[in-house]
Amino acid sequence: MLNRRKFLKASSLISLAPTMPTFLSRLARAAESAANNGRILVVIQLDGGNDGINTVVPFRDEGYTKHRRALRLPESELLKVSDEFALHPRLRSISQLFEEGRLSIAHGVGYPNPNRSHFESMKIWHVGGDQPELLSTGNGWLGDAFGSAPVTTGKPQAIHVGEDSLPLALVGRRCMATTVSDPADLQLRASISKSNQSIVRTGGGSLTDFVSKSVSEAYASSEQLSQATAEDASARYPDNRLGQKLKLVSQLIKADAGARVYYTSQPGYDTHAGQLPGHGDLLGELSSSLKAFMDDMKTSSLEDQILVMCFSEFGRRVEENYSLGTDHGTAGPVLLAGTHLAERGFGQLPSLTDLDDGDLKFHLDFRQLYSAILTGWLELELPQSLRGFQMDRLLR
Amino acid sequence: MNSIWQPYTPTESHQWNLERVKHLHRRAAFGATWTELQRDLRDGPEASITRLLEGKSRVQGQRDDFDSIAQIIGESAARSEDENRLKAWWLFRMLFTPDPLREKLALMWHNHFATSNLKVKDLGMMLRQNELFRQFASDKFGKLLHEMLRDSALLVWLDANSNRVGHPNENLARELMELFTLGIGHYSEQDVKEAARALTGWSIKAGEVTFRHEHHDAEPKTILEHTDRFDAESLAELLLNQEATSRRLAWRLCDLLMGEHVVNQDAIDELASGLRTRQLDIAWAVETVLCSELFFTEKNIGSRVSSPVEYIVGTVRSLEMIDKPPSTLILAEWCSRLGQDLFRPPNVGGWNGGRSWLNSRTLIGRANFAATLVAGELHSPVQLPDLKQLLAMHSKPTDGPQCSAFEFFAMLLLSESVANGNLGRRDDPESVVIELLSSPQACLM
Repeated sequence: MLNRRKFLKASSLISLAPTMPTFLSRLARAAESAANNGRILVVIQLDGGNDGINTVVPFRDEGYTKHRRALRLPESELLKVSDEFALHPRLRSISQLFEEGRLSIAHGVGYPNPNRSHFESMKIWHVGGDQPELLSTGNGWLGDAFGSAPVTTGKPQAIHVGEDSLPLALVGRRCMATTVSDPADLQLRASISKSNQSIVRTGGGSLTDFVSKSVSEAYASSEQLSQATAEDASARYPDNRLGQKLKLVSQLIKADAGARVYYTSQPGYDTHAGQLPGHGDLLGELSSSLKAFMDDMKTSSLEDQILVMCFSEFGRRVEENYSLGTDHGTAGPVLLAGTHLAERGFGQLPSLTDLDDGDLKFHLDFRQLYSAILTGWLELELPQSLRGFQMDRLLR
Repeated sequence: MNSIWQPYTPTESHQWNLERVKHLHRRAAFGATWTELQRDLRDGPEASITRLLEGKSRVQGQRDDFDSIAQIIGESAARSEDENRLKAWWLFRMLFTPDPLREKLALMWHNHFATSNLKVKDLGMMLRQNELFRQFASDKFGKLLHEMLRDSALLVWLDANSNRVGHPNENLARELMELFTLGIGHYSEQDVKEAARALTGWSIKAGEVTFRHEHHDAEPKTILEHTDRFDAESLAELLLNQEATSRRLAWRLCDLLMGEHVVNQDAIDELASGLRTRQLDIAWAVETVLCSELFFTEKNIGSRVSSPVEYIVGTVRSLEMIDKPPSTLILAEWCSRLGQDLFRPPNVGGWNGGRSWLNSRTLIGRANFAATLVAGELHSPVQLPDLKQLLAMHSKPTDGPQCSAFEFFAMLLLSESVANGNLGRRDDPESVVIELLSSPQACLM
């Protein structure tokens, strides 16, 4: 596994041996870029509208008992991480992260005049606002923000890990974003012989050098990936879809894919009926996968460079429906994982008795979070649409 | 005064040899088969270039009803609402068209007017736009530009619907100036605002482009220091007459046809000036470049990174996988994996091209493509390519000994110098082809 010590060792090799194997020089460069900047945002989109009330449970709120009868989680099973709220029993790993100070919760995140269509509300979150002229641009908040950042390499600024098409959030006028769905894309097939590297035009100048160097780097990264996955027994990811996606994100980060944003999603949160078992399974998957990812990053000395944001397009109605489920609602919690977060909690836990036509009132605008992440974490210029939104002390 | 683009005539030091024949086909088409290469080697540069310009360069895989078959495939792909089928259709065209140069120019215009179905979400529109790129590929540029300003895909892509009098949306105006004509630095922000007003009134209703007078701003506008009651057409004419536009087109063509650091500003300016005196006639410029000495100089050969589409289609053509072609759906998927997802350029600026095609993931992808091809997995169901037969068919020179698998495939896929540098390598066609196609040199053309 790559750790700080190995990185440094490799770094010092750079000056000693200009002709050292590219595998090592690449490692050294990865360490270098990590030291300079190297901050990475990982976005996990919870598709379908996560029931925030049964995720971060306001168990002392009398409204919880009143509105959630069949769907009320038994108090004895809740993970009481604070006086005010508890976590869903299946979020054990996430509660550990919370207690270790590696995860924070932004409560009641939403926006004015919430839209209850999955498609529309997701679009609003992706674009970073609900103004018609903004929605029609076809660009997203991250893609827009990268519009101002100089592109210096052929490496993508954002990588989407998943099967479906590029999320709108990553589309921008000048943003280079790409989708990776298959870990096999990062590994050389067995029949490829490394001796091909010598087949190169002689005297071709800087372009030939560039291509040769890029090929050996690519092979080194493939090799490094195999080693990283073989050597490291501690980075065990749960055998579920999100776990495997986050494993791929980790592999890409370690192979120095160079992106500043990784974006993935977990579908299935649209729990209109028979919510309890399914929702629990989803949260279990999220919890174990996120913990595995953060632990993997920690072991690799990369955790300080990582900020994870888990969001959903909306929360669900406070009052459960008649089919043991919940319908589309408004505000919900956003989970943030990383070691630079200033507080354990942001915003305030929404009340379940002081409602807005049966829905939670939001206390934190998602654009305040975006703004703090873009300027404070990624150090990008705010796109026009997010200027005017700010948030005090998300990061320390 | 000597022209920078003076024509090439073979000399002792600049012989018309196999390297130059391959170079011509790689840049102006998607590579060529051994038979086509040998024919052109025999016939000389003039005949070879003329055949390419006239769309008569291909021998293998040609049929009289190509156009009608391609049309049927394209239209049914658009109706299917399966974007992958439309991508496969385009690869079918590139593989089998008698006029690969036109297809290559269509691909260039797809990058110039980079429009993505990610937002357009209408395959019929994407197909129509694509056919325009083909139809006007080497025409006078103004024709294509006027078509584009009335093209539904482009207008959806650049928000024409929200550009109305009183509420201009600058998206189309900006890209029209920055990307389609002048290039950055040749207009002001005020010009963008005024141009947006000129473009008001055009919108898409039920898939059709319409002009509504009541949404058009008919007041005078001042654009590039000209004041007039500009509308879309007169704005386009104004832009077409700017020197900057001709320079951008000259750059665009050199970006397609020439290598890295081969063309300097003087060469661009001279080509641009020629374009201006010929109403921006693309066919003239393409012919001028392809016939030039500069095009055939040593430093221009192998000095360009091939795009994923060039790499993939070129390989399939060169290896004559023509009578039993690979699945175009699978090929389209590989293009996307290697970074060129057709009908989905990454943003309005299109693909950056050049060195940016190559990163660890795409280079691993290119090597894996080679291995996949040899394993027969580009076909569905799996079907091994008959490399031994290809070797047997072409590797017997009439006078002289039979050449080895390495020598033949290196000569076909890469270069003579690689063929001559074979030092005790494995010599079964399968390993040789993988090794050659995954080599650093295979990324260059």
